[in-house]
Amino acid sequence: MSNYNLNEVLKRRKAEAPQKNSNGDVKLDDLSRVKVLSPGRQVFKRFIRNRLAVFGSVMLILMFLFSFLGPLFYPYGQKQIFYKYEPRNVDYGMVKENTAYTGLDVSDGARIERSVNNKMNSIIKGMAGEDDYIMGEEQGYRVHRLAEDVYLASASEMEAVCELGESQVSVGTYSLVGKKLTFDGEAVEGLEAAAADAIAKNAKGGSFELDGVTYTYARGKAKSYAISATSDGLRYVGEALDAGFEAALNAAAEGGASGFEYDGAAYVLTGDEDSVTALRMTDPQPARVYSRLTVSTYEVGQEVSDEMLRQALLATAGDGAFEAEGQSWTLAAEEGGWVVRGADGAEFMELTPFSVRRYNGDDTMEYGLKKALTEKALEMAAADAREGVITYDLPMQTETGEYVTDEAGNVSCQETELKLTRSQTGEYVVNCEQVIYVINMFDAPSRQHPLGTDGDGFDVLARIMYGGRVSLMVGFVVVFLETFLGVIMGGLSGYYGGWVDMLIMRLVDIFYCLPYMPIMIIIGALMDALRMDTYIRLIVMMAALGIMGWASVARLVRGQILTLREQEFMVATEATGIRVRDRIFHHLVPNIMPQLIVQATMGMGGVILTESTLSFLGLGVKHPLATWGTIINSVSSASAMQHYAFIWIPVGLLICVTVIAFNFVGDGLRDAYDPKAKR
Amino acid sequence: MLKYTVKRLAYSVLILFFVMFIIYVLMYNMPSGYVETKARELASRPGATKSYAEWLADLNAQYGMDKGVVGGYFVWLGNAVRGNWGDSWAWTIPVTQVFHNTVWYSFALGFVSFIFEVMIAIPLGIVAARKQYSFTDYFTTVVAMVCISMPTFFVATVLKYVFSVKLGWFDLSGMQGRNYMALSDFGKFLDVARHFVLPLVTLVIISIGGLMRYTRTNMLEVLSADYIRTARAKGVPEKTVINRHAFRNTFIPLVTMLGGTLPGLFSGALITETLFSIRGIGYASYTSMTQADIPFIMFYLAFISILTLLGNLISDLLYAAVDPRVRLS
Repeated sequence: MSNYNLNEVLKRRKAEAPQKNSNGDVKLDDLSRVKVLSPGRQVFKRFIRNRLAVFGSVMLILMFLFSFLGPLFYPYGQKQIFYKYEPRNVDYGMVKENTAYTGLDVSDGARIERSVNNKMNSIIKGMAGEDDYIMGEEQGYRVHRLAEDVYLASASEMEAVCELGESQVSVGTYSLVGKKLTFDGEAVEGLEAAAADAIAKNAKGGSFELDGVTYTYARGKAKSYAISATSDGLRYVGEALDAGFEAALNAAAEGGASGFEYDGAAYVLTGDEDSVTALRMTDPQPARVYSRLTVSTYEVGQEVSDEMLRQALLATAGDGAFEAEGQSWTLAAEEGGWVVRGADGAEFMELTPFSVRRYNGDDTMEYGLKKALTEKALEMAAADAREGVITYDLPMQTETGEYVTDEAGNVSCQETELKLTRSQTGEYVVNCEQVIYVINMFDAPSRQHPLGTDGDGFDVLARIMYGGRVSLMVGFVVVFLETFLGVIMGGLSGYYGGWVDMLIMRLVDIFYCLPYMPIMIIIGALMDALRMDTYIRLIVMMAALGIMGWASVARLVRGQILTLREQEFMVATEATGIRVRDRIFHHLVPNIMPQLIVQATMGMGGVILTESTLSFLGLGVKHPLATWGTIINSVSSASAMQHYAFIWIPVGLLICVTVIAFNFVGDGLRDAYDPKAKR
Repeated sequence: MLKYTVKRLAYSVLILFFVMFIIYVLMYNMPSGYVETKARELASRPGATKSYAEWLADLNAQYGMDKGVVGGYFVWLGNAVRGNWGDSWAWTIPVTQVFHNTVWYSFALGFVSFIFEVMIAIPLGIVAARKQYSFTDYFTTVVAMVCISMPTFFVATVLKYVFSVKLGWFDLSGMQGRNYMALSDFGKFLDVARHFVLPLVTLVIISIGGLMRYTRTNMLEVLSADYIRTARAKGVPEKTVINRHAFRNTFIPLVTMLGGTLPGLFSGALITETLFSIRGIGYASYTSMTQADIPFIMFYLAFISILTLLGNLISDLLYAAVDPRVRLS
């Protein structure tokens, strides 16, 4: 005992230590035996022992990865619209027989007045013979048929030639005073006596005959009678023409013709049944050529100038040769129309009464197709069939709607069935399958779109990811807001007590009593009426949810603080003179943290439910911003629900799983923090 | 007890006053509402003697909206206290008439679902508590959690998809079948009942979880009490322990809670009724809310707030009535 040395004792013990362990001789209070866990570790250990809570945590982690990291790796955005190429039965083109005649000015000088031009279409359609004559207000016109469906109108100044038919000619005046007849022109023998006789018989007026001419007399002023002769013969205005003209005139007048041609000059007849006036066209000029033919070129997309068309139409009357665009062309009548050939004999274009064109406005139809369609239409018209089908080589399309070309750069063709249907108006509509570019709506799940696309052509999986972001973010922000407000209000209320407590608790009562859902719906309708931007709506909605939810947190915090306030450590803080603010927020609030965390976790699920319900009703976040509620809302109609279950079922399950996970984790945390707590 | 009740009632009136004020402020700020539309309509009528602005001023005066928010609120309050709730703007009949037309459908829906809820949730909760940590317990807990976590609209959509679209057993929505008018009185009743099945199932599913958990928790607490151990120790059969000793004590919190929910049976299921187009008060109020029908919304929200306050009061009073250990102060 005398030479007791502490250092030696320690050395000895150190040397004994490994020996003791190897002996397995362990004391009860040995450090290696009693494993002390920190409170945090203890909670964690209890938490992971709860299988449901672990399941919830895993689901939540997956959900966060999915929503926040998923979009980084997923190629599509939430507002990206997808299109697709789809073969569809489209209106390819139409075949129509032209019935309207359209005019083309021939010369710069001669014009056709508008009123005549307007009715030219019906005049031409009503024409029986080769020629027709029209008297306009300023000029006279002659329409001449150059060939079938081609008419040339010439205009000219007019000059009256003669009158034909019944007309009254004043002969003279018979005066009762001198019993004498005064002639206007040359005297007629015996007329004076005959007139006196007739007037004596009937003084009021009448008629009498003399030498086969009927005279009428009417009482004029100062006891005199005007005598006129009625004649139905021919009277020339200027110099008289020969007998051949008269014969032609009479023939035309009796036949009801509107004009005739004689000796190289054209005459227009106007007037009514009783009398006809013949006018000569002094200087006829070709003015306008009318036709109902349309051009189709042999090569696709060739331009045909008006000048060329005009020359071609005029050439229909002659031998068919004409000059245009510095070249000479020949025109020949063939079955179904006129064919224009170049100087080398190659076919250039055709003039037919059938117009065949694409519905989209391009003139991309080749000549052979036009011909085939026209023939089919004619055949159908002859058979009075409503529908007909032809097969033709149309340019082949790939799946993406592009034309296929071979190595030489020629467009490859593919036999396609073209269906002709006669419409009510007599046109033939041509339908066929074509690959076109459309929005990819309600596409079923596929490799490209694992969950398909929705009604706007958005990728559903991308929408769900971005929707998850919004939904989770709303949950976090709202819960943070309501916890923040609740801790402050509850802390003040619980710590101070008295009138502060009274006031805050009544406020809590009021907010408890406010009907949650109706208020949110009213706010949603209010934002609808204000036409708020969708991002502002999101912020307003989060703020409203937070303000509506703080009351329960405040009540919880107050209750906890009331019990904690009485404990020794709070008395100690008071004794050491710590500031009130620090006493509340450094010593009280950390002690209620477990309850707050549990409350917040459970609240998160509730907020996500509320947000999705509001969005589902269309009163929360709006299109095009995605949330889980709006995605389901977009397919909530009966038919959409039935056919597009691949859209709403995954989203609905996702909402359920997220909320369940939050609740499981909340439950687990509560049990872990305080195993004896009443649930 | 009487003094407590009177005090609580006085508080309730005060709370109601402020709750309605907050709601009135919200409604007051509704832009381009009914009044403007009505004024425009009256001004454009043939033979209208007043301009749009004059009609607007007139109507605003009539509805007390020209006196500012506070003044307008007191005008409304004065009318409401006298029982004059006005005419609904969206339904164009007196507000009380709308209430009478709709509330009984809501009550029927709420009451039947309440009965089912109680009949299903309480026995399940007790079974789960009796066999704690067993498979039954886990199963019940998980089912309860799933029910709590499902959004109403998703439950409704799934039910519609399965039973209306796929199986064709029920109509998608509405309250009457196509040949309703041709049916006898009893047939009409059955027809309407048939249309109530899916909403009912929806309501039961979404509300069953909470009650189940509540029952289980309270039962567990009672089962760990000393008097249960005593009963078991003295050899009382397990059946008697559960049914007599434990269940009766579990009843105290249950009755308190269920009593508090009773007034809520009248308040209607806003979302469910809307989804199934049941013409209950919830659906009517939803329609009114989206159309800024101030008189009806004010009436409905006042009604709901009163029911909530009444529920709280009943709950507290029952607590004292059922459990003699509790003294109210």
